[in-house]
Amino acid sequence: MIDLAAIFALLSALSVLTFFAGRHSSAFAMISSAVVMVATAFYVAITMESYTGGMIGRYSIVLNSAQGISFSIGISGFTAPLLLAASIVFPLALFLSRGGEYGGTFYGLMMISETGLYGVLISRDFMFFYIFWEVVLVPVFFLITLYGGVRRQSVSLKFFVYTHIGSAFILLSIFSLYAYYFAIYGTFSMQISSLTDPAFVSKIPYFWQIFVIAGLMIGFLVKLPTFPIHSWLPDTYDTAPYPVTVIIAGGLSLMGGYGLFGIMLRMGTLFPLVSLWFIIMLSLISLVYFSLTAMYQYRIKRMMAYASAGSMGFVTLAFASGIMEKTGTDYVLAISGGMFQIFAHSLIIALLFASIFYIRKVSGNDSIFGLGGIYREAPLLSSITLGGLLASLGLPGLAGFVGEFSILGGTFQTIGYLIFVVIFSMIITASYHIWFAQRSLYGPYNEGLGRIRDLSRSEFIVLGSLLFFLLFIGVFPSLFFNLFSSYVGGLL
Amino acid sequence: MILQWLILLSPLLAAPVAFAAGRWKRGLSGIIASLSIAISLAISGITYFGVVSGITYYERFTWFYNLGYGIYIDHLAVAMVLMVTFVSLMIHLFAMYYMGKDPNRHVYFAETALFTAGMIGLVISSNLLEFFMFWELVGLCSYLLIGFWFFKPNATAAAKKAFIVTRIGDLLFLIGLVVLYQGLTASTVVATSQGPLNIEFLITHAGSVLNALGRTRLFFVSLMLLGGAIGKSSQFPLHVWIPDAMEGPTTVSALIHAATMVTAGIYLVARVYPLFVASGPDMLYILAILGSFTALFAGTLGIVMNDIKRILAYSTISQLGYMLAALGFYGVYGSGVIGLSVYQLVVHAFFKALLFMSAGAILIALMDLRDVRKMGGLWRRMPLTVTLLFIGSITLTAVPFTAGFFSKDAIISASWSFYQSGGTYVYGLPWVFLEIGSLMTVLYTFRMFFLVALGKPRSHLAEHAKDPSLVALLPLAALAVLSLIFGIFQGSFYDFVNGSALVLKSVPISIEIIPLVFLVAGVFLTYFIFGTGLWQKVNFSAVPGYRTLKNKYYLDRLFTNLIAERGILPAAGAFGRFEDSYNSGNERAGRGVLSFGSYLRKLQSGIIENYFLVIVISISLIFIIIDLMGGF
Repeated sequence: MIDLAAIFALLSALSVLTFFAGRHSSAFAMISSAVVMVATAFYVAITMESYTGGMIGRYSIVLNSAQGISFSIGISGFTAPLLLAASIVFPLALFLSRGGEYGGTFYGLMMISETGLYGVLISRDFMFFYIFWEVVLVPVFFLITLYGGVRRQSVSLKFFVYTHIGSAFILLSIFSLYAYYFAIYGTFSMQISSLTDPAFVSKIPYFWQIFVIAGLMIGFLVKLPTFPIHSWLPDTYDTAPYPVTVIIAGGLSLMGGYGLFGIMLRMGTLFPLVSLWFIIMLSLISLVYFSLTAMYQYRIKRMMAYASAGSMGFVTLAFASGIMEKTGTDYVLAISGGMFQIFAHSLIIALLFASIFYIRKVSGNDSIFGLGGIYREAPLLSSITLGGLLASLGLPGLAGFVGEFSILGGTFQTIGYLIFVVIFSMIITASYHIWFAQRSLYGPYNEGLGRIRDLSRSEFIVLGSLLFFLLFIGVFPSLFFNLFSSYVGGLL
Repeated sequence: MILQWLILLSPLLAAPVAFAAGRWKRGLSGIIASLSIAISLAISGITYFGVVSGITYYERFTWFYNLGYGIYIDHLAVAMVLMVTFVSLMIHLFAMYYMGKDPNRHVYFAETALFTAGMIGLVISSNLLEFFMFWELVGLCSYLLIGFWFFKPNATAAAKKAFIVTRIGDLLFLIGLVVLYQGLTASTVVATSQGPLNIEFLITHAGSVLNALGRTRLFFVSLMLLGGAIGKSSQFPLHVWIPDAMEGPTTVSALIHAATMVTAGIYLVARVYPLFVASGPDMLYILAILGSFTALFAGTLGIVMNDIKRILAYSTISQLGYMLAALGFYGVYGSGVIGLSVYQLVVHAFFKALLFMSAGAILIALMDLRDVRKMGGLWRRMPLTVTLLFIGSITLTAVPFTAGFFSKDAIISASWSFYQSGGTYVYGLPWVFLEIGSLMTVLYTFRMFFLVALGKPRSHLAEHAKDPSLVALLPLAALAVLSLIFGIFQGSFYDFVNGSALVLKSVPISIEIIPLVFLVAGVFLTYFIFGTGLWQKVNFSAVPGYRTLKNKYYLDRLFTNLIAERGILPAAGAFGRFEDSYNSGNERAGRGVLSFGSYLRKLQSGIIENYFLVIVISISLIFIIIDLMGGF
């Protein structure tokens, strides 16, 4: 019998043990995370088989009833796919870093951050939500500052400060909610479901409503990121070692998305209209700004960092305009589309960074101009990279399309002909993706690179199966889309 | 019904099998791919008889949310699918000869099989979103196959251009889909069980779609769908990608960029034609004028090209224009124009595949020398191939009693009737464009043909050119026979596709005769200049307009130089630089905080007297303030 609490306990135990695994820590971490992945997949498959909405598998251990603190976990149709994505991304990242290049601490920190991410996604209690939120960020800070590339100290500081400011806002908002809950009902509660209940939040003074909403939004938007508060992202992605980039891009981006749809969505009715328009505008700006900025980059890693940020514009767009719709099919479409986009983006960007990692590894180069025609030498690697690029630019049949289509379908009513702005950004996105493919994968081979190797069999199997999974999601999206739409439908 | 699914599944499954088998033994891949398509063709034949007997094969399942997928094979689809599988099979057979020595031919055959599957899927899909998915799949295959010779910089650049330009069209199509979908999902007019984007629903209930969306929005939807068609079928102004796409293998040009994929845009319009009709006469006029203008416009460009494949490429654009224009003449034949257009589409597929493949046979003999000025005298050296080229050419120029004559003449006559029914001169424009376009067709075709076939060889390679083996030319011969005799099916084809009898309107004989006059005049003119060697003495650049034509009306330059290089790239640069300075601004702010902190740190001097002094001053200040506020 697989159980959520058991998986989580196992993961926590294994991640601590990784620190003591010595020279086997790499293999240990890889195997542990793979075990967790398999367990999660089974658990999700079993639990979500006949999902119709709401939370499933709620556990609650009351720790301190006087202060309303309890350790309660559970998953929903929204978090289950995200858990799956998280549990796929981490073994992938650990696979990339295998070979003992880094010491035991590295693998231990990776595992700890997986534990944290897992905890964030399953916590139903704000106390533990926040603790795990920090448990993710701190190891990642150390991973960057210890193992990063040039300027790692300042970049990791920037990452930390940015995300920590976000966290501080989140904490303040949580405490305000906590205090007002006591003031209104006379009991303490840290339950996410009770603290975000719109019936409760609408009772607190208007200023504090806005304060709470703004605080939480800032915290989550920093994490996504969205336009003016994204400055940590390109540097962090760029400086972090590739495996860490994979987990930041593929894993940590889930946190922001989870915050929006898992926590803020229920308070949706309390958002002032102007703030929603503000978010929509920010999303549109993000879409265009990040795609054009990505086009300007000549280092692949940085380009893909901006591409990742750009696709988050879809998420915030879906969120804001979905809330504005309030109800009906447009609401379900937009919100489920946004959730699907988070889920798909996480896997796509993980695949992309993994393939770029191998490009970098075999050729020693990750600048578009320094590469050229590597398809001749490394056809498997190039094909997989191309697959990732196509998924990222939203080709139908791959995972990225479904989310984008339903977001566009759900938001048209709200944004009207501003949809052309989105389309413009999609054209630009397609352009630089294809430009990258043409420049570095195809064309005449850059003889200066010498002979480079292709993916080995095991590497090909890992990356190939992820690509195959993306194809599978794209062809049979209903497996996950129905979970999202039932969850959203259950909220109505 | 399972049998009809196999039409799609057979090449779809064959693609990976051909690749895997080809890795082991290169020769197998072509055989597997061809076999799978032969199976599709056979089943399409069976399906054809089913459709004739009145069955519409329609099955759908839920894909996600309220969107479905499935197959929908009616008269129109079965006609298309027969054409696609047949032409694709012929081209595959020829490709086994043409690509016979390429080391990567297993990749080639896997991709063409995948392409064929995509094309079949597009034709028989039951839902517009599924349609779009296959639409993108064929686009992807086109991208991969144009860049098949990945080591050629031109080829990869052309592939990139093709992808981006068609992507613009595709995204317009996507907007159309989104707006249509949103409107139908939100409205109460449409029962959810019908599925908002099901093709069957859209074409049988165009009226309720109109009610649900309103005229303006439906017009917008049609316009966006047309945008997709323009990109895919390379109509003005998104036609710029297709001449460059000729960098791919010639069989790819024949399969994708002449016979099948580029007709997908026309097929889209034909498929959801009731929506276009419901959008109002303006929409239909746009179809007519856009198509006829492209027919003329691309024809003029074909005249000045020297690359044999590019001549054929512009010819393809021009012929696609005829098909699109035909769809605009709703006022003349009602929905019967679909038959008119699709007949031209099918005939065009036959003769254009033939033309491209004979050009391919010539290119193999000439080691990929594509310049028609360097050919010459090939009729004597490659008699079979050039005869096939000749058959293709006369069908293209609509010489009487070839299939092209029947298909194109009907369209031109319809354009005259369109003028008559419309009344004003504006409605006469399509007719004028199409008539002059037909003259252009004659000019570029026979210019090419005379340069290739007659005179003396003008290069060493041309002198030693030889016919390929007879077996390799068999598929071409099959297409040639069809190009010649398919005209006898004109009436029955119209009736089959439309599902009802279509009576062609007669036009005055003086109008009817114009294309023939153009044909005779064109042949004489081109023979006089290009058949005799006179062209070598003429200074063409002195001819007015020649430079404009040579530069393709500066449109390519507009797109690549003005929009891409002067518009998008500088914008990207500006954004990128802003981003850089924004980032460093962020860091400066961070450093500012740090240095402010280190400034404050100086206060913590560790000297006890200073602390004492601060304490005394602070306490006195507090007392003063309290005193000022009114004391205790």
